[in-house]
Amino acid sequence: MEISFSRLDEDIARFTLKDATPAFANTFRRTMIGEVPTLAIEDVMIYDNNSALFDEILSHRLGLIPIKTDLSEYVRRSECSCGGEGCSSCQAIFTLSVEGPCMVHSGDLIPADPKATTVSTDIPVVKLGKDQKVVLEARAELNDGSEHAKWQSTLACGYKAYPVITIDDNCDACGNCVEECPRNVLKIGKKSVEIADGKLEDCSMCRLCEKACMASGIGDKPAISVKPDTERFIFVVESDGSLPVKDIMTSAFGIIKNKADSLVDVLNEISGAI
Amino acid sequence: MIPVRCFTCGKVISTEYEEYKKRVEAGEDIREIMSDLGLERYCCRRMLLSHKEIIDDLNPYQ
Ligand code: SF4
Ligand code: SF4
Ligand SMILES: [Zn+2]
Ligand SMILES: [Zn+2]
Repeated sequence: MEISFSRLDEDIARFTLKDATPAFANTFRRTMIGEVPTLAIEDVMIYDNNSALFDEILSHRLGLIPIKTDLSEYVRRSECSCGGEGCSSCQAIFTLSVEGPCMVHSGDLIPADPKATTVSTDIPVVKLGKDQKVVLEARAELNDGSEHAKWQSTLACGYKAYPVITIDDNCDACGNCVEECPRNVLKIGKKSVEIADGKLEDCSMCRLCEKACMASGIGDKPAISVKPDTERFIFVVESDGSLPVKDIMTSAFGIIKNKADSLVDVLNEISGAI
Repeated sequence: MIPVRCFTCGKVISTEYEEYKKRVEAGEDIREIMSDLGLERYCCRRMLLSHKEIIDDLNPYQ
């Protein structure tokens, strides 16, 4: 298996995964979306709230704010040595106290742990009028996207099979397919149609080019054919900022490996028992 | 209040709302503003496009 990046930033990555099965590509995608843990606000103690938003809505909005997560510092509350009571290694505490008239922003959440801050300081939480105020304490904890989407570290996270475009010798460079292609993947070459430089990965495998070629009266088989490569996949992974994309990928691989190992253990146990 | 994130993909879009509103009022082309603000997908774009702010109407009745 091989990964080659065409783009790797803090919050977006584009890469090709080579020599993998479709099952593995999908496992990888699902693990990144659903199993990589991040911090998100789970409990809110509201001391004062006379804003126009109900406590529940206010808490829900707070929960959706992405929080920078250091996976080496936090563990899930259910797996913590404190036994689930809540301590500094399974909870990040924020306090908020704002009096109107003003807009309450995510930056008004004051973190107890200076490293576990909100990703952005200007997410609007609630607009306060005169004499309105909000005073609360919020506790963020580690969990994953399969529990609730607020713990999901990825935004757009998906893949498609690598397109393989073959052009037969009987292509007469009529250009019908070039005109039909919605992604401008094709161009007219000297003797036949060609793939435009660097455009192959843009192909959506819609096969409109094949249809256009048939319509040009080429015969009973189009001169161009588009097929998915079942061993190569183009991925796009975007992060909400709580973890860098690279960490999401490495921790997803770790999770898959642990799961595979435990499957082997279970299988060994079963086969040993017979 | 503008939703914190896009309902569909989860991107934080609420941070762009103030600037979006200002620029729409200034008469700029909505399509360009959104692309400028980094809202690529149409799920995120409709979040701003279809939002109606009513917090100021609600505030007197808290
Ligand atoms: S399959 Fe669709 S996107 Fe790909 S080259 Fe043909 S027309 Fe273009
Ligand atoms: S439509 Fe068919 S014959 Fe015409 S350029 Fe495309 S592939 Fe060649
Ligand atoms: Zn603990
Ligand atoms: Zn979206």
